[in-house]
Amino acid sequence: MDYSKLKRRASYPFETIAVAVAFSPRLEALVSEGAVLAKSCGAKLLLIHIGERTRNKESKLDDLVTKLQLKEDQYRILWNDGDPVESLLHLCKLNVVDLLILGAMKKESLLQYYLGSVARKISRKAKCSVLLLTDPANEGTVFKKMVVNGVENPKTVYTINTAVYFGKCVSTSEVFVVTEIHQPGLAMTMADEATAGEMTRIKKENKAEELERVHAIVTRCQRQGDMEICEKTISGKPGYAIRHYAEQKKANLLVVNSPDQKLGLIDRIFTHDIEYILEDLPCNVLIVHSRVNETT
Amino acid sequence: MEKLNNTDLVALLLAIGTMLILSRIVAELGKRWKMPVVMGELLVGIALGPTILGTFNPELFNTLFPLKTNPHFSIALDGIVSLSVILLLFVAGMEVQLPVVLRQGKAAITTGLGSMILPFATGFAIAWWKPEWFGLTAAQGDGYIFPIFLGTALSISALPVIARILMDLNLFKTNIGMIIIASAMFNDLIGWLVFSFILSYAGKNGAEHMSVWTTVVAILAFGAFMLFVGRKLIDKVLPWVQTKLSWPGGVLALCMSVCMFSAAFTESIHIHAILGAFIAGIAIGDSVHLREQAREIIHQFVTNFFAPLFFVSIGLKVNFIDNFDWLTVTIILVLAFIGKVAGASIGARLGGIDKRSSLAIGFGLNARGAMEIILGTLAYDAGLISQTVFVALVIMALITSLSSGPLMRRYTTELT
Repeated sequence: MDYSKLKRRASYPFETIAVAVAFSPRLEALVSEGAVLAKSCGAKLLLIHIGERTRNKESKLDDLVTKLQLKEDQYRILWNDGDPVESLLHLCKLNVVDLLILGAMKKESLLQYYLGSVARKISRKAKCSVLLLTDPANEGTVFKKMVVNGVENPKTVYTINTAVYFGKCVSTSEVFVVTEIHQPGLAMTMADEATAGEMTRIKKENKAEELERVHAIVTRCQRQGDMEICEKTISGKPGYAIRHYAEQKKANLLVVNSPDQKLGLIDRIFTHDIEYILEDLPCNVLIVHSRVNETT
Repeated sequence: MEKLNNTDLVALLLAIGTMLILSRIVAELGKRWKMPVVMGELLVGIALGPTILGTFNPELFNTLFPLKTNPHFSIALDGIVSLSVILLLFVAGMEVQLPVVLRQGKAAITTGLGSMILPFATGFAIAWWKPEWFGLTAAQGDGYIFPIFLGTALSISALPVIARILMDLNLFKTNIGMIIIASAMFNDLIGWLVFSFILSYAGKNGAEHMSVWTTVVAILAFGAFMLFVGRKLIDKVLPWVQTKLSWPGGVLALCMSVCMFSAAFTESIHIHAILGAFIAGIAIGDSVHLREQAREIIHQFVTNFFAPLFFVSIGLKVNFIDNFDWLTVTIILVLAFIGKVAGASIGARLGGIDKRSSLAIGFGLNARGAMEIILGTLAYDAGLISQTVFVALVIMALITSLSSGPLMRRYTTELT
């Protein structure tokens, strides 16, 4: 299969937005969200269903697009059989999807979480950005407040830029770029050798260094309109700390980098990074997949 | 119930007071020359013990530490020292965070494996091939236990010393720094599991009770239970304890009691108590709900009270001059340097790290510090090693800790 169009494709603008259609009770809300976002971003809309194509399903979708007043040139419906995760990811690659929208439970049962639901599996494996909507609405979700990860990673600059672009499309007013400070082993070292003054100084220096680093990225990113961008440092384990912060801030959207490596069951047992977020979504989550460093 | 009488108690309190204040003074003086705190504590032990005070003023030594003449004093001090080592292993476990190893990915795994396999293999092979180099007779050298012990002793790393070196070199937050930290965690986890097996199987208390496979299964089952079930339970209880109970009393009581119960359990099934404490430390330290302040309080409490008592007590047990043997020290030092530096560097290279940084990682992981000394002490107490090998291990721990920073600096100038 030729995926060359994907190679080094920028993570934004979103030219093609896909919605994973599952004919669940949230079908209308999810497709509406897709339509609203496609309009805001000036993107094409793809409705993808993996499963049996029946007359009943076809008429349901036809009724829905009529209700949403979508014109024929604004959307396409794709049907496919097979494994939901693999087929969906394959179709996304084939159609150069920039953003895939999925409905997701805020928290899944323990067994389901460890086995992996479709939405979570796609979030871990997708080669495009993924928007997980915990509570899709017919009139479209308001993304007023956004928390974006500022973790030290080559992907972060693209994630922040994508978040700012998306924020402009959906009229976000507040953006918090947050970096997490976590230094394992530090407490033990400090307890042994540091004076109270040295301990305070080291913590202050760490915080200042992180802020400076995030500030440098934010300065480089393309600010949009009167969007307010705030830079913050928080202490705690990566993934968990930002999830907690997004909850506390009552953010509408949490924007994070896509995983750096293949995640498996062991990563769910010894939870780290994005797994803390997928374990219990604090709000809607946008996982930005920047393809810049990829070879395929 | 037998009790400590007035004289016993006075002797015990005077001994503890002397150990604490002198070790602190020497540690503070040593900090001016970048000497690890543990070195100051060991020097105080050597000065107060049979090596110096016992040789030049045996009367004062016996008055201050009536180990041979007062069995009550001896048992009480031994109890405190045992508690100290349990708590030291508990706080060491608290810093072993498996997610950190996982998030560093391939490089951390290959480095962690390389820095264990090669030192273990070289230590095992030499101890197997030439047991007489370590003071063992041909009959004693027949078993697997000493070679496994030496291999394990050479593969362990000292996370606190390494973290301090990385901080001094401004490498703590870099990719190299995190690979070193993650690999040291990996080394500690595997090293202490293997060492628990050695102590359980071959120690003074365990040999007659358990077979090899029973010991292995018991260790793995306990580790799996604590890391999968115990960890989740602690994670559920901690937020409630930290918000509803008095601070920091509630969280300290929870952590200490989990450590003690866990240590008691492993000791009762004839695996050494240190394993219980170490695994309890991992289960608690990994919780996202453990506040950083609580972590710091536990570390302060253990590192500043129990650690000096433990490290000073080492000097009270052994005469470092009488048991110093150039050959044993040289062999252990050479094996330690070659195995660890080469193993970690090769592992890092296989993980995709460039040559220069791989060498920096190798020298970084070479620091053995307090962990090696604890391991050596437990092995000596269990009758696994001679005083000569013990002294050589302590010297190796100190030399590798002191040389790690300067050697690492040579390969990291452009990384900072």
